[in-house]
Amino acid sequence: MATLRGLRETPRHLLVCEKSNFGHDKSRHRHLVETHYHNYKVSFLIPECGILSKELKNLVMETGPYYFVKNLPLYELITHEFINTFVKKGSCYALTYNTNIDEDNTVALLPNGKLILSLDKDTYEETGLQGRPSQYSGRKIMKFIVSIDLMDLSFIMDSKKYERISWSLKEKKPLKFDFLLAWHQTGTEESVMMSYFSKYQIQEQQPKVAVSTLRDLQCPVLQSGELRGEAEASCSAPELFDWLGAVFCGVDPNNEPNNFISTYCCPQPSTVVEKAYLCTVTGFIVAEKICILLEQLCHYFDEPKLAPWVTLSVQGFADSPVSWRESEHGFQKGGEHLYTFVIFNNLDYWLQMAVGANDDCPP
Amino acid sequence: MAVFADLDLRAGSDLKVLRGMVETAAHLGYSVVAINHVVDFKEKKQEIEKPVVVSELFTTLPIVQGKSRPIKILTRLTIIVTDPSHCNVLVACTHLDVDLVCITVTEKLPFYFKRPPVNVAIDRGLGFELVYSPAIKDSTMRRYTISNALNLMQICKGKNVIISSAAERPLEIRGPYDVANLGLLFGLSEVDAKAAVSTNCRAALLHGETRKTAFGIVSTVKKPRPSEGDDDSLPACKKAKCEG
Repeated sequence: MATLRGLRETPRHLLVCEKSNFGHDKSRHRHLVETHYHNYKVSFLIPECGILSKELKNLVMETGPYYFVKNLPLYELITHEFINTFVKKGSCYALTYNTNIDEDNTVALLPNGKLILSLDKDTYEETGLQGRPSQYSGRKIMKFIVSIDLMDLSFIMDSKKYERISWSLKEKKPLKFDFLLAWHQTGTEESVMMSYFSKYQIQEQQPKVAVSTLRDLQCPVLQSGELRGEAEASCSAPELFDWLGAVFCGVDPNNEPNNFISTYCCPQPSTVVEKAYLCTVTGFIVAEKICILLEQLCHYFDEPKLAPWVTLSVQGFADSPVSWRESEHGFQKGGEHLYTFVIFNNLDYWLQMAVGANDDCPP
Repeated sequence: MAVFADLDLRAGSDLKVLRGMVETAAHLGYSVVAINHVVDFKEKKQEIEKPVVVSELFTTLPIVQGKSRPIKILTRLTIIVTDPSHCNVLVACTHLDVDLVCITVTEKLPFYFKRPPVNVAIDRGLGFELVYSPAIKDSTMRRYTISNALNLMQICKGKNVIISSAAERPLEIRGPYDVANLGLLFGLSEVDAKAAVSTNCRAALLHGETRKTAFGIVSTVKKPRPSEGDDDSLPACKKAKCEG
């Protein structure tokens, strides 16, 4: 009987919805966007829009570039030269590629200078670095998180701590990974990443942009003040979240009887919009670019528009070791961590943050 | 967490089918597979067939999907003992030098598991193995698989359980997350079910490796034989012996 009860439960997932206004002093939107470091997919949906304005189009085309390096030894990321060239002069992001967070060792560099290593038991014991066991490890502790503060290290040159970490990553257990790198410089220097890592096979990549115009789309009616929705007047935030997911998957929300794939229905009350613009950018996208995109979408309502609201959705990498700030992220059966802004024409916004099973509550 | 492993791919006579199975396993995301040779222990002196040599099977090992590493292939021997006087599960749990105890699914278990020998087995580091490919083939087997598994879970509480396919064809292998979901049907918790495909498999493999060592700490490695011209090394060894 206990088994049957257990089978009825779904894996744990959390959806946090909040509402505020962009003009509000204490609005956390900037902070939340900037602390969600590893962004894989950014999509925005604008109802009643056929073509994109020039500013938005330029922004979408300039979300890159990011770099892919194969077989980069980990000690290269803790050399003083790297720290002084990239970590201190801007926001440097790095994430291992082709590693699964629940199986392998994963490394991530955050823009605040922290290098997070998520290591399995054998590697942790072989490197001999100091870390703590993972929160999502199960009966036996099989995963350990090591956090190295690069900004702290560089002040103390040739200290014992730096020497130990350096020895561990260079000689004791040299680890090599394929990395995705991105750098957002604060100054006006050119990107020197290609030349810095020229002895490894570094490639520059541009994020992929996919654009589509949806016709006769059923959109839910929303009221910016009512997160929970009002009966017969507007839809609730969780209903919008499901609807948005259906739109991104290309599912037809009409619940036709011969549809084998989905029986999803658009939440009521809803209206039919003639056309809607859906743009998706996929790649290793830095948080600063998303901030600029968010601000530009707010400016969409500077002139009166037919659309009652626009949405911006950002999905994180399923295999990133952190979700927001330094909260640990794990992969149970799915590794989603994403957030969506719904921007209304009076600059009110709804913010929905969703995480999966092995995650802390979003901030 | 450990990498996903499938510790039971049945070795048939056809190498091509075996190759197909390993490639399917790599494509599904398994990083370690073990090719299982099954021996029915009837006569006293029986020839055990030679295990498949991995280099004969593949010149380049297939890469695991989603990673940059090739799949690791191991070999394994399973002995079926049908004579109850000779050896039964009780004895196997407490005395025999084995790594895994397989739970049969082809029939309703003729005995009930008792807590004391199971606890002894868990302390010794033995794993209990459940296979799922008979459940794919036949609906009666499906009933027996689930009922035997539930019996086991009541006693061992989900510790040291491994789920593997006893696949004879590539189509009988399922992906690691699907097998973890199947573990939920067998009565395991979510975390235990995932461990059944990863962590507990790793523990069983390490248990097998430590059988050659002294208490799992010290192991011996065969030193390569020095060639005729290396006369300098010999006196040095002799010297060390005198001093030690």
